[in-house]
Amino acid sequence: LALIPTCFSEPPPSLSHALFSSFRRHALIRRSMASDPAATDTTRFDFLVIGGGSGGLAGARRASELGAATAVIESHKLGGTCVSKNFKPPVMWNAAVHAEYLHDHNDYGFDVGNVRFSWETLKAKRDAYIGHLNRIYRSNLDKAKIQTIQGHARFTSDPEPTVEVNGKKYTAPHILIATGGQPSVLCDDEVPGASLGITSDGFFELETLPKRSVIVGAGYIAVEMAGILSTLGSKTSLVIRQTTVLRNFDSLISTNCTKEMQNSGVDLWKNSQVKSVRKTDKGLEVTIATKDPEKKNEEEKIRTIQEVDCLLWAIGRQPNSSGLNIGEMIVDTDEKGHIVVDEFQNTSRAGIYAVGDVCGKALLTPVAIAAGRKLAHRLFEGKKDSKLDYSTIPTVVFSHPPIGTVGLTEDEAIKARGKENVKIYKTSFTPMYHAITSRKSQCIMKLVCVGKEEKVVGLHMQGLGCDEMLQGFTVAIKMGATKADFDKTIAIHPTSSEEFVTMR
Amino acid sequence: MAALWRGRHRWKRTNCLHVLTRNLTGKYDYDLVVIGGGSGGLACSKEAAQLGQKVAVLDHVEPSVKGTKWGLGGTCVNVGCIPKKLMHQAALLGTAVKDAKKFGWQISEPICHDWSTMADAVQNHVRSLNWGHRVQLQDKKVKYLNIKGSLLDEHTVKGLTKAGKETILTAKNIVIATGGRPKYPTNIPGAMEHGITNVALECAGFLTGIGLDTTVMVRSIALRGFDQQMAGLVTDYMEAYGTKFAWQCVPKRVDKLSSGVLQVTWMDNNTGNEHKDTYDSVLWAVGRAPETKALGLDKLGVQLDKETGKIVVGADESTSVPNIYAFGDIGEGRPELTPTAIKAGKLLARRLARHSAELMNYDSVPTTVFTPLEYGCVGLSEEEAEKRLGKDGIEVYHAFYKPLEFTVAERDASQCYLKVICERDGDQKILGLHFTGPNAGEVTQGFALAFQCGATYSHLLQTVGIHPTCAEELTKVNITKRSGLDATVTGC
Repeated sequence: LALIPTCFSEPPPSLSHALFSSFRRHALIRRSMASDPAATDTTRFDFLVIGGGSGGLAGARRASELGAATAVIESHKLGGTCVSKNFKPPVMWNAAVHAEYLHDHNDYGFDVGNVRFSWETLKAKRDAYIGHLNRIYRSNLDKAKIQTIQGHARFTSDPEPTVEVNGKKYTAPHILIATGGQPSVLCDDEVPGASLGITSDGFFELETLPKRSVIVGAGYIAVEMAGILSTLGSKTSLVIRQTTVLRNFDSLISTNCTKEMQNSGVDLWKNSQVKSVRKTDKGLEVTIATKDPEKKNEEEKIRTIQEVDCLLWAIGRQPNSSGLNIGEMIVDTDEKGHIVVDEFQNTSRAGIYAVGDVCGKALLTPVAIAAGRKLAHRLFEGKKDSKLDYSTIPTVVFSHPPIGTVGLTEDEAIKARGKENVKIYKTSFTPMYHAITSRKSQCIMKLVCVGKEEKVVGLHMQGLGCDEMLQGFTVAIKMGATKADFDKTIAIHPTSSEEFVTMR
Repeated sequence: MAALWRGRHRWKRTNCLHVLTRNLTGKYDYDLVVIGGGSGGLACSKEAAQLGQKVAVLDHVEPSVKGTKWGLGGTCVNVGCIPKKLMHQAALLGTAVKDAKKFGWQISEPICHDWSTMADAVQNHVRSLNWGHRVQLQDKKVKYLNIKGSLLDEHTVKGLTKAGKETILTAKNIVIATGGRPKYPTNIPGAMEHGITNVALECAGFLTGIGLDTTVMVRSIALRGFDQQMAGLVTDYMEAYGTKFAWQCVPKRVDKLSSGVLQVTWMDNNTGNEHKDTYDSVLWAVGRAPETKALGLDKLGVQLDKETGKIVVGADESTSVPNIYAFGDIGEGRPELTPTAIKAGKLLARRLARHSAELMNYDSVPTTVFTPLEYGCVGLSEEEAEKRLGKDGIEVYHAFYKPLEFTVAERDASQCYLKVICERDGDQKILGLHFTGPNAGEVTQGFALAFQCGATYSHLLQTVGIHPTCAEELTKVNITKRSGLDATVTGC
């Protein structure tokens, strides 16, 4: 049994609202009651977190700061998807952005000779940085006196919610499930040879840049992967079941992103599905069926892509809930395995909570972090109303150029309020950066407003700088900004963002 | 020039300009004559024309000491914001090439920059903008005259063409938007960067970025009027980036040597010693002065500020002479920024056309300094906030953060910083927001909107961050200066 010290020597940093004056500092370990024979050797905590990713660690650290004796159970590496897998696309995206800059250098007067890309160099630096982050996470946890337990957790059949890891049992009055998700895969029964492909997890194990890539999927992960590979020099095809990517985004973004991808050289296969995959000595042979639903009389076309050295499935993600044995705890899940929670992150079993990707809602790091922290405040600081507001959550897709979006799409607004109550403002322009480059990209922007006062309920954009633009506008939109507020704001010149406050 | 038709009246179509016949609207040739075709003047005249006013805009560029001239569009388009940002972008690309190597790009050294490629490309773009403005004026039915305007009386403007031909225009209202020009020191021959404004730092920044050995000579402080902690971060970054600074130095003389280089002699006020060194080029960036001398304002009794020479204006851009207005860089006390000139011009046009009574709000003006490490801000500096509310009346939340792109590139992020100055009590309303980092301009605009809406500190924290970006750090900031704790962001 590990001993956790009974009190902190100094108040932990952060949080200007002085939280620390009133929480209890209590003895944290006690052997379980002798009167309960089934519970011998069960280590008890105040807060037990299953999953050391963004949500789990944020919740654990905040709870620990509030005085709860906390432990985190992690079966792989600390940091979760965000650090080891989610973090990587943006770094790779930066590398790809450099590719684009290198095209533009000559226009700006730089004489850049022949340029080659070395995947190996990038991978080494990237992995070193990830390792560095892992160590920081580890050190943060140690500093916060949070116990980390390495291993896979499963709920036992004990009456009080208990998990078992490597033969040892742990319990707490509050248990948080934050096990995240993993990429969905098709099994070989559905698509013969599917297992010859990799997922986004496997992307980061790649040792070299693939010469020929095929990516399947139309969501943001597929878009980001295709963009990175293509811009870094891999001949890339993207196979999608319908005609546009990012179909859940605003139609302006969906259409524009599809167009930008094609313009940038990604070979787009619309109305297509992978039928089978075969290994040959020259690489993979991917067989694709294409059928345009508009042309009902046309036959399904079957074609193959040869010599593929990277087939990447980006067809969705599924929750990591099956291995937990939560059925024992009567914790409700939906048909896909996502843990069902209410607005306070409560599951159907008292004392068990869930945050992050495992719940299936707003699969984003900052959301998991915020939800984890709000939960910690509710459980250990008595803030009964502490919960995350899931409306107005901003998202960026690191495509080329990047996409920023927050709030309702035009269609969602019309559905909710009726067409007559929705006013759209749009603009598109070529950012000044491209004034002297031969390569051009557009910036498109849209505001979705409702009601007489023209309250801004949705903001959508794609263009250079949109990744950094979105945050401030989100604060204002969350505050209830109207179109008039936008118009009253003075522009910062010269930028692209100023176009939002000068829209007609 | 297109001939204008108005009812039964026909304008005489001529090569030279003559006195125009009386128009329909009354005893004046025009409802509005705008002197100055820059950001403000163009916005005002186009807005007025759109509201049905008969408008003429006069634009003329007095050649610089070296004989430089430019086209329609004013300072911003020709010798300000636009070329500045493009050159700043060129410098950023220079840094990007170095970073690219760390991201796996194998580029053969050394990378050279060719000034004329960049200059030509920038000039071509500026010319296209000049043309664009001409076309816009035509489309909006604003009469454009490339003549030097001056005032004869409250309703009469005299115009002088290049050839020396005179024209007289009468107008119900006259707007002066002639802007400013760089100051040349009168007591020191030649030029060396001396004194400091954002223009000086921006120029020095991109010159360094494209590979030129650059020194900035500063008489006293940098970025006067801006938050001084932030100004320090900006200049610290520039020094680390390679720009040399000569603090508390004042040039005494500049001589041209037989080799053609310029020798600058200066006094170092720290040590009291005199120094000499040689340079290829010397750039004055010691401030800008208004263009009022040639306007004939003194004759009309238009009041000028004694110190700055700018036109004294009221909240509605009026001058001491009724029906003469002034705005933009020429107005005393006004920010020297394009967007404020544009907005003020539009609102003025609406008021003059009796379309609305709305006045320009000069508070909450966001801005960005496009130095190598960009600095965006809105609201009060910390010094100003302390002055108004006292140190105990404010709470400053701050953080040192590291942009993701700096990690793999192994770049020093010590000056990447943000602070949010709030009222200490109640809702903790935000008084000022300051951010140094890449893309500061793009980051700041949305926060300026939130600031305009009266955002508080908790509004920032309640907003979910976008990950991974630099901007999200503004929604996570939680260490106060008061606490004395380490403000470095660590991990998620």
